[in-house]
Amino acid sequence: MKGLILGLVCVAGAAAVPMLGNPYYTGVIFQLAMWIALAQSWSMLSATTGYLSLGHAVFYGIGAYVCVLLTGSVPFAVTLIAGALAAGIFAAAIGLPVLRVRGPYFVILTYGLSELVRHVVMRIESALGSFGRMIFIVPPIEVLMWCMLGLATLACLGAWAIRHSTFGAGLSAIREDEVAAETVGVPVTRLKLLAFVASAIIPGAVGGLALLRTSYFEPGQAFDPVISFTIVTMALVGGTETVRGPILGAVALTLLSELLWSNLPQLYMVVLGSTLIGFILFVPRGVSGLVDQIAGRR
Amino acid sequence: MDTLLSGQLLFAALVSGSLYALVALGLNLVYGTLRLLNIAHGDLVMIGAYTAFGAFSLFHLPPVISVFLAAAVCAGLGWAVYEGLFRRLLANPTLAKRVEANSLILFYGISVILQNVVAMTFTASSRGYQYLDTVITWGGVSMTGNRLLTLIVASAVCFGTLLFLRHTLFGWSLRAVIERREAAQVVGVNLNRVQLITICAGFAAAGVAGTLVSMTEQITPFMGFPFTIVAFVVIIVGGLGNIGAGVLAGFCLGLVETYGIALTSPGYRSILIYGLFVAVLLIRPEGVFSKAVRS
Amino acid sequence: MNVTRRWATTLLGASLTMAAAMPALAEGDPIRIGYSMARTGIFAAAAPSQENAYNLWRDQVNADGGLALPDGTRRPVEFVSYDDQSNPANTVRIYERLITQDDVDLLAAPWGTPMHLALAPVLQRYKMPMVGNTAASVQLRKVAPGYIWFPTSAIPDQMGAELAKMMKAEGVTSAALLANELPYAQEFRSFLIPALKEAGIEVVVDESYPPDIKDMTSMLVDVKAKAPDAVIAMTYPSDAFLFAGQAKELGIEAPFVLSLVGPTIDAYRKANGASVDGIVSSAHWSPESDAWPRGKAFFDAYVEKYGEEPDALDSALSFMSLEILQQAVEQAGLEPEAIRKAIFEGSFDTINGKVEFEGVQNTVTPTGFVQIQDGKIELVWPAEIATSDFQPKQGW
Repeated sequence: MKGLILGLVCVAGAAAVPMLGNPYYTGVIFQLAMWIALAQSWSMLSATTGYLSLGHAVFYGIGAYVCVLLTGSVPFAVTLIAGALAAGIFAAAIGLPVLRVRGPYFVILTYGLSELVRHVVMRIESALGSFGRMIFIVPPIEVLMWCMLGLATLACLGAWAIRHSTFGAGLSAIREDEVAAETVGVPVTRLKLLAFVASAIIPGAVGGLALLRTSYFEPGQAFDPVISFTIVTMALVGGTETVRGPILGAVALTLLSELLWSNLPQLYMVVLGSTLIGFILFVPRGVSGLVDQIAGRR
Repeated sequence: MDTLLSGQLLFAALVSGSLYALVALGLNLVYGTLRLLNIAHGDLVMIGAYTAFGAFSLFHLPPVISVFLAAAVCAGLGWAVYEGLFRRLLANPTLAKRVEANSLILFYGISVILQNVVAMTFTASSRGYQYLDTVITWGGVSMTGNRLLTLIVASAVCFGTLLFLRHTLFGWSLRAVIERREAAQVVGVNLNRVQLITICAGFAAAGVAGTLVSMTEQITPFMGFPFTIVAFVVIIVGGLGNIGAGVLAGFCLGLVETYGIALTSPGYRSILIYGLFVAVLLIRPEGVFSKAVRS
Repeated sequence: MNVTRRWATTLLGASLTMAAAMPALAEGDPIRIGYSMARTGIFAAAAPSQENAYNLWRDQVNADGGLALPDGTRRPVEFVSYDDQSNPANTVRIYERLITQDDVDLLAAPWGTPMHLALAPVLQRYKMPMVGNTAASVQLRKVAPGYIWFPTSAIPDQMGAELAKMMKAEGVTSAALLANELPYAQEFRSFLIPALKEAGIEVVVDESYPPDIKDMTSMLVDVKAKAPDAVIAMTYPSDAFLFAGQAKELGIEAPFVLSLVGPTIDAYRKANGASVDGIVSSAHWSPESDAWPRGKAFFDAYVEKYGEEPDALDSALSFMSLEILQQAVEQAGLEPEAIRKAIFEGSFDTINGKVEFEGVQNTVTPTGFVQIQDGKIELVWPAEIATSDFQPKQGW
């Protein structure tokens, strides 16, 4: 409950940032909300079931693609919803065979799928004679930021709801021992599929919004594997045991890279890489675990 | 149709295939013995390419000599990474439990560091040098010297490694670690030593591949990632940790790519490769060439 | 004590001598110019050709005493730059930061078409002028004129028409087209095909390939069998290396061989040596031109500073964009609206000759093609700016 109130206060504070009159901060909040939404969505599948997806860029990219195709013919809110739906439907369509694959194979498979879709979209675009698509009328940055903040909130609430439900309990059972869970009657396949779809929907809308921010679509960028890597990194650095984890991870890494690139323009990627390594080795429970530890000692 | 039967196409397929097999060999060794998803593998290829380029442009050392240097540099990196990071990771039960996720992020960090250190040292400008690019025609097949050299060296290293694994004591212990980790320890295999040597060997193989690639491709700090991907495709098709099948799969991928393009259109190249990759993972995740199906 | 004093005297003497040797060293409050650069990520290999030109320009301006203002005073130039990781979303953020947070006086362009397109609305919103450089797409024309300009004339529709004209003039009757699937190459291909048809040149091969292609043998065997007069390879840098190596291996005999992006990069010629003599590529600048004497000076200074040749397309455009900015500031000062007006109305003298804008586009510089001749980049088309005649490719 305390966490919920704190969260709502943060959201309200963030939503008021445009009133500071400095669009740079609005941009930072947009970025922050984007990564929270993505990392939290990812955690709905990967943190709960232990099925580590390295291909969430595919949902982001599909959302962006659907959004750019529809832009101009329907209102912008509709393009976002369509992007989210498309991502969800795609997840539902591929879910059954994909989720049969486990462990490191699942990691690599999700990555491969994302690349496959990227190349298919590239092929379609070149067959259509399209060379990068531009959007000319985009909503102002404040509106985009508020939408993104809404998506981040939705993702956090969704993740919280999943973890505190029988659905979530079923998913945890899968993570602990899938075979055992199945023998005691947990509907393993259905639960995994639901989690997969749930974790795909919000990234679809996020992809659409992010596209409107840059107003230019190119498959190579919309399906950029770096997006997938960043999501996984943020969630793991934050800690996957709690709903707080991905939020803290996204905040920590976004702010850290924001600070680093403005102050250490040459070295910041090296520092960022070292930070990741340090975190994995010395802070295995992530920022979230670190916060617990400090709070516990007080 | 004539094209399909020409030796020219076969040569191209074998050159690509041998390189794929070599790049994948290193990754497979590291995955097989340590169960680590090394997504920085392509960056080691990049380090090998820069070593060869540096040796050539500063000291006029031809790649046939600098290949040893590149292997040594990469093996040194392997040693540093193992002693500095992975010993700790594998020794700690909490960390080792999620070894996939953790090794993924660790290697992501390493990849970022390697790329940017090289970019700072050499700038990100693309580099290249001219070596052995005379064309030899033999039996109607034209071969550029450096591509022929690539085929010979890559095949030699791959098959040499296979022979070594099959006929030496160390090779046996390595295979034992891959197949039955706990049992190997019980019969007295020094796990730590095997792992250290394997990671050095795996990295060195990437360095050799990098040297070969540097003769024909542009060299940049960010060139590595496609090699990582190709290596993963190959070892998945062959079966994770199955060294011999991995080499075979590398050559097969070269054939599939070259003949696939010839039969359809170059536009389908990447769709073909990723399609194959995804299909194998969905239908037969233990690899096309593996004998036993693990439950 | 004595030693210290002697040292101090020596140092003082040395610095006085140095000061005397450089009377025009820039002084005063620096003028800050902001930009973002793809120092990491997919575009990183291409970006140094741009940033090197920026740094060279800054050093030259500061050595001259600084950037001249309308009142005749000069102020030194300082860059504020960040890495955009080859991601247009970051580019947008960085320019917002440069404008609102860092409060820079002027802006220089980032690398790449997507970045430029993403920036246009930002510049419009904050009313900050920026002269673009490394962007080329017909979509640029759709950008509403305002605060961004594109000095390039390597825009695919004009290039398609000009290339067809050039090919016809050289007696080409058949052509093979190989195109990367990335936007610039595809755009060029879409304009080239109708232009070739109009010029009566038959297209005997037309293939597209993905950017991560690793082997072109089957495509090139097909090209060789059809024996066209011209091979038009719409490459990006990495596949330009592949194309050159494999076309040589197979002994492609066409007298007219074009490789779209790549041949003007220094490393391309270092890796391929004399084999790539005769390759045609896209650029509208060459250091060899007598008409633009400053071009050679730029080339020499660049080679001296970086030990490699500037890219005839990106480096030249980047330097030009800052020359335009420099001349606009000299005339109009630092007030954004005044600069904007000056750029719209002015005529600029650059290393690539005169530049004038209409809307967002440079309407003066002709669309050209260069050819590697004896390892040098020579302009071979169109005739009015050519530095050499086209020479049919003689083997590899």
